[in-house]
Amino acid sequence: MYKLYLKIASRYLFKNKLYSFINIFGLTVGIASFILIMLYVNHEHSYDKFEGSDRVYRVYMDYLEGGKYVPGDANAYILSGPALQEQFPEIEEFARLRRLGEVVLLHDDGIFDHNTASLADPTYFDVFDRSLEKGDIANALSEPYSIVLSTALSKKIFGDADPLGKTLKIAGSGDLLFTVTGTMDNKGYNTHLKNDFLVSFKTFYTWERFKQDWDYTWNQNAYFTYIKVDKNADIAQLGQKIMDYVPEGLKNERHHIEPIEDIHLNSNKPYEAETNGNGNNVRFLAIIAFITLLLCWMNYMNLSSSKSLERAKEVGIRKVVGAKKPQLALQFLLESALLNFVAIILAMLSVYILLPSFNDLVEQDLGLDKAQLMSLLPYLAIMLVGASLAAFYPAFVLTRFNPTKALKGKAQTSSGGAFFIKSLVVCQFVATIALLIGTFVANKQIHFLKNRPIGANLEPVIALKGQVLNKTSDSLFNMSFDAFEDELRKIPYIAEVTGAGTYPGDSFDNLNSNMGITFPNGKTDEKHIWYNYSVGAEYFDVMGMEFVAGGPFIQTSQKSSNNVVINEKMVHFMEVTDVESIVGKTINYWGADWTVAGVIKDYNHSGMKSPVVPMVIRHTRNSQNVLVKLDRKAMTMGNTEKALDDMNRIWHQIFPVSTYNYTFLDQKYEALFKDEQKFAKAFQLFTVLAILIASLGLFGLTSYTCLQRTKEIGIRKVNGATITQILSLLNKDFVKWVGLAFVIAVPVAWYAMDKWLSVFAYKTPLSWWVFALAGILALMIALLTVSWQSLKAAMTNPVESLRSE
Amino acid sequence: MLLQLNNIFKWVNSGGQRIFLLKDINLEVEEGEFISIMGPSGSGKSTLLNVIGMLDTFDEGEYNFLEESVHDLKEKHRANLYKEYIGFVFQSYHLLDELTVQENLEMPLIYKKFKGSERKAMVADMLDRFSIVGKKDLFPAQLSGGQQQLVGIARALISNPKLILADEPTGNLNSKQGEEIMELFKQLNDEGVTIIQVTHSEKNAEYGSRIINLLDGRMI
Ligand SMILES: Nc1ncnc2c1ncn2[C@@H]1O[C@H](COP(=O)(O)OP(=O)(O)O)[C@@H](O)[C@H]1O
Ligand SMILES: [Mg+2]
Repeated sequence: MYKLYLKIASRYLFKNKLYSFINIFGLTVGIASFILIMLYVNHEHSYDKFEGSDRVYRVYMDYLEGGKYVPGDANAYILSGPALQEQFPEIEEFARLRRLGEVVLLHDDGIFDHNTASLADPTYFDVFDRSLEKGDIANALSEPYSIVLSTALSKKIFGDADPLGKTLKIAGSGDLLFTVTGTMDNKGYNTHLKNDFLVSFKTFYTWERFKQDWDYTWNQNAYFTYIKVDKNADIAQLGQKIMDYVPEGLKNERHHIEPIEDIHLNSNKPYEAETNGNGNNVRFLAIIAFITLLLCWMNYMNLSSSKSLERAKEVGIRKVVGAKKPQLALQFLLESALLNFVAIILAMLSVYILLPSFNDLVEQDLGLDKAQLMSLLPYLAIMLVGASLAAFYPAFVLTRFNPTKALKGKAQTSSGGAFFIKSLVVCQFVATIALLIGTFVANKQIHFLKNRPIGANLEPVIALKGQVLNKTSDSLFNMSFDAFEDELRKIPYIAEVTGAGTYPGDSFDNLNSNMGITFPNGKTDEKHIWYNYSVGAEYFDVMGMEFVAGGPFIQTSQKSSNNVVINEKMVHFMEVTDVESIVGKTINYWGADWTVAGVIKDYNHSGMKSPVVPMVIRHTRNSQNVLVKLDRKAMTMGNTEKALDDMNRIWHQIFPVSTYNYTFLDQKYEALFKDEQKFAKAFQLFTVLAILIASLGLFGLTSYTCLQRTKEIGIRKVNGATITQILSLLNKDFVKWVGLAFVIAVPVAWYAMDKWLSVFAYKTPLSWWVFALAGILALMIALLTVSWQSLKAAMTNPVESLRSE
Repeated sequence: MLLQLNNIFKWVNSGGQRIFLLKDINLEVEEGEFISIMGPSGSGKSTLLNVIGMLDTFDEGEYNFLEESVHDLKEKHRANLYKEYIGFVFQSYHLLDELTVQENLEMPLIYKKFKGSERKAMVADMLDRFSIVGKKDLFPAQLSGGQQQLVGIARALISNPKLILADEPTGNLNSKQGEEIMELFKQLNDEGVTIIQVTHSEKNAEYGSRIINLLDGRMI
């Protein structure tokens, strides 16, 4: 019997090609979008989820600012871990990781750069539930100068040879030898704290690199600290106790803990290990995924209920020959199951085909491996439940037809059914309009951020960075470095060159955060955080930063002086109104006096998500980065390549044994809101798809209403109605529904987008025209979709529609 | 003369074959005539009526209506012509179910761009004339077939057409109701309205001044 039903079902779908196509297409688009978005969302949620991760917390610092504690930075003190463990028995273990910055490894003649690495306590493996591919996990990090490589890095350095027991050098650390004690496989390991290799924490005590931290006090706060707590610990209570606990030697700060699972999506503190994801965006995308799925099912219900009217006669005949309600329902359910099944298969195929392009769009490497597919199983279950629910309604409508009336081929108008379909369409339009508003706002915000003046000219500036691997003495190195800068200055298309410790858009790690400063008026501030970094005298020229008072450091023969330049925010902070009065005055911090040479206009150092911070810029010889400002006018078209070649050549002439790379400042700065851009792109794509689906639904509904009103249209035409009048009669309702949907969608979208914008320090206004535009666009889409069919109905010769007597 | 059909042919192509629906129709109708069209089912009566009513086109021949050459007119022009001069009455009344009697009567006036106050007056006049004032707020489903057809005729008459085209107006009515409708037609005709009706009943046909017989699309 099922076989027969299935045969009838497939025959029916084949016969009604347009209907089947629209239906399957809508479902496929909806389900494929859903799977794609959820793959992304799942990926973002998979960070730092491991066996026992719910018991692991990161310790970070709150600063006391203006009498209140504010989240400070992601690092804790070197002493935090040990002190907390001693104080609180609930803490089973702690693991500290100290970032090493970008590290260059040397092996024989090989140079391996661009490595992210950390010093790590031996407890790391246990706290993070890691395993080693090779090596003894119990001892891998217990001895000084032990190093654990990622499998990928090990392969790069040693090829297929066994790395265990082999030795490596770290550039800048002379002839110190590090012994490989293990390898770990990072493939598929999603964490906010990525490491290409780990060095045993014990190395810290003798490694010259950490000399300045050897006093081991409450002064060194560059240590990521993770604690693993007891299964039965009361976390809220422990968190409070940790906040209340003030170790001796710590002032104006307190410890705070956060679940490691939340870090990737919800933490955006200074000195994060990497720019984390944006939980808001991920939540938005998940909502969009469900909306898309819902839309396509509403659509399906819509289309099949409309279509069911045409099948009244079939139902009538079946009923007259004895079909019972359940049998009829089964038939329609099977039909619908077949349709949904085809759609799900097609959706899977589309996902498989589209995944690479989608990966490009969201700049991810999402895979459809077994684990991912397994994680999609619950959603597939939702889909099947949804599909059968979607199938139920039309089956219900169809089986309710009265056979004698149905036999006359008369479409039965049940006002309940019409209301149901109308509500679906209004819902679809609420979603469409809300998504449109969301897309507009997201794009508007990104446009706003991109075009908001940073307060510095990043476009013609390139940052060169390299590490000299055969450094003998500092003075010799400095001479060579000066020579490099001078060589660059000789090139006609290079306008200016400067050394700089960091620059706008660069990682937070290269910025010092401080508390405690004495102002020219003798007042001392101990409560506020301010930042500083060091640059060469030409920095302000290179960056195009504007002075509101004074000027760049007074050039002396030396490359360093006690001159500083501060920003307006810092002046504001000093509670001084006359900016000029600061120039030439002395401020005091780090136990030394500094002369304020000038005050620059505020600029955004760390992107537009964060507000301007008080800043002190010191005059110091600097070889961390060389910033090169190109003179675009002196360059022939497209000569940036040549400039890069020239600079590379000169660098290697002067430093034959070195690493070297370059960065375009504007690109790096823009990458700070990469996540938002990805989000906007994804948002846009899925909005278009959602609109497509909604239009299909409307298309179905129009054919339904037009069919229902054929007779009415005919009568009106015979009585003198023109095509335009009929069109407006048919379209009026749709305009009303879009209007209703608009009224519902606006507050929802306003609330949601206001929330989305709240994480930005600078927000584009939620202008009225964004809402109006979305409404008008939705209306236009609706009218276009509807008119295609209603025009056809309006143009039909009334003789045709009135004949059937 | 009200209208004149000269050598009208209408056909449809089906399976490469030309099927004639109307063959060489020649007909002159003077103002004030009352014509009955008769013929077996499928002989083309409705088709002819629709052609006269300009709801349908024809393929060959000439059609003049009040000095206008219908065969040369654009569709919009034709629509304006029938809107102004012709009223239609149908076998199944074709009232709009969701409108009241009063609103059904008003509907054509809206499309003919009468002002609100004029419409009110004309509808009231018509309700009076057909003695259905008491039913003005009822919906078609609440009326008997005869009453519904009465409304249908009232609607056809409301903007003072010169010509009433009625396709089996009594087909769905019992004989008594049918008789009443025919009496009404007679009365209207006496008042000067030209009427062309399709009917199967010899008796009803007798109300007319002239009978046209159709067979397979041809006048006999
Ligand atoms: N557009 C059309 N296409 C094909 N056949 C048609 C069309 N219109 C009418 N016919 C056919 O022409 C014949 C005459 O129809 P009709 O004028 O309705 O007959 P009557 O009203 O006399 O019963 C019928 O056989 C009908 O099926
Ligand atoms: Mg007929």
